[in-house]
Amino acid sequence: MAKRQKYPSSHLNTKRQSTGLRPLIVFSILSVLILTFYIREGEAGPIHSVRSGIVTVSTPFKMVGSVVATPFNAVGNIFANLTASQETLSDLKDQNAQLTAQVAELSEAQQTAQRLESLLGLQSTYNLQSTAARIIGSSSDAWSQTVTIDKGTLDGLTLGMPVCNAYGVIGQITEVALNSSTVLLINDETSGVSAMVQSSRAQGVLRGQADGTLRLEYVPVDAQVASGDIVITSGIGGVFPKGLPLGTVSSVEKSDNDVYYTIVVRTQATTENNEEVLVITSLTEEQIATDEEVAAANSEDATQTPSDDDSENSSATDDEASDSGQDSEDSETQTDEE
Amino acid sequence: MNLHETRRGSRPIWVVAVIAAVLQLAIPPQISIASGTVNFMVALALVLSLSRDPSSAVYIGFASGLFFDLTSSAPIGLMTLILTVASFVVATSSHGVLGGFTTDSLRLVAIGIVAVNLINGLCLFFMGVQTNFLWALFGHGISSSILDMLAAALMLFFMGSSTTQRGFSSRSRGGRYKTLK
Repeated sequence: MAKRQKYPSSHLNTKRQSTGLRPLIVFSILSVLILTFYIREGEAGPIHSVRSGIVTVSTPFKMVGSVVATPFNAVGNIFANLTASQETLSDLKDQNAQLTAQVAELSEAQQTAQRLESLLGLQSTYNLQSTAARIIGSSSDAWSQTVTIDKGTLDGLTLGMPVCNAYGVIGQITEVALNSSTVLLINDETSGVSAMVQSSRAQGVLRGQADGTLRLEYVPVDAQVASGDIVITSGIGGVFPKGLPLGTVSSVEKSDNDVYYTIVVRTQATTENNEEVLVITSLTEEQIATDEEVAAANSEDATQTPSDDDSENSSATDDEASDSGQDSEDSETQTDEE
Repeated sequence: MNLHETRRGSRPIWVVAVIAAVLQLAIPPQISIASGTVNFMVALALVLSLSRDPSSAVYIGFASGLFFDLTSSAPIGLMTLILTVASFVVATSSHGVLGGFTTDSLRLVAIGIVAVNLINGLCLFFMGVQTNFLWALFGHGISSSILDMLAAALMLFFMGSSTTQRGFSSRSRGGRYKTLK
């Protein structure tokens, strides 16, 4: 019996090479199932949850990629611009015009918000009882320095109420209508505010000048005043709250025979770019000058009066300083009477 | 004579896979060129499928597609399905003998990439994700394909030395007695 010849084992790969069809079918079905569940399940489904977890884990990589890829973003824009159609460019130009308008509008809104924020800061700092208003116009003639605000008697405003912006006092209401009021600015020639130098407490009256500047008058020469000193409201008269900023001393002059300084004050508050203002509707007790302060102001003036060479000036000072405690409006705004 | 098939060096493949995954997380969300974004997972799956048997290529394609779906905003399962099938087709077409930075490899991978992107765009259009048919196919599809090809070419170049010398088949290593003991 012939033996079957045994060939040396070749150990050739006798296993049939996998065609991969079975895994292909299995994983294809699995993929379709995943896709189906993904579409049909809600946002809180398990597949969505898995993706959410993966995204959470992969976020640091994306942040690193963001830092690294930022310089290359311009490359993509260049290619996109090269391939953009004329219609796309036209649309983009229109969009650019709209966005430019929006940017201007938003910038304006941002500035408004900043001003309002400053006003709120002022209101909070000085504990002011006030109403916000908006400047809707300025004086219609060249001889007066006034602005018109959009609040009137309907909003509870009355004559004599002080008005300030974020930088300090700007004026006082001199005319009031139902829905608007006229504010006489402190740099008007007819305006006067009881003021004092913050550092030395030297008191005087801040008056507007024809050239639009401000002068602090009736400050005796023995008082300590220097350039750069801050001038604030003194509270005498009970119209303006005590301590509100008015301006800064820009120059101090004194001649040999002068009894009072010639002090020029640079105002902090300008109304050209200040659309929003605060109208101070009432004062608290601590915002009004005390009797001692009024007496001190009177005595300060009384010591100067005998040595006055200029009787006209002294009488004016007497009127303003001594009357300030009795008739606030006379002393602070109705200076034209003097 | 003991000619075992040497175990394929798996380390370079894992290195490439990890690098591709990290790049997939970091780069595509940031850079878009001409309305297209690079998909490193497509490139990875098709490049690896060149030198794999169809069965392994299916696993690679499934895993790569699922990773892409989970890390992007695309419908989960779509790219998984497309890459599973595409990897199988590429592996079947290459008979597991291609690989490396060769013309044949580049051609086959390029065809696969274009097919994957076009089918993906088509499916997204029919699923309602994309509304413009031509833009879905030729806008995003073509530009993404070009970027994917660049990524695939880099991978082939990087893996070239290891894959071409592994000699899985008789054609690459010659020798009719290759598998004789």
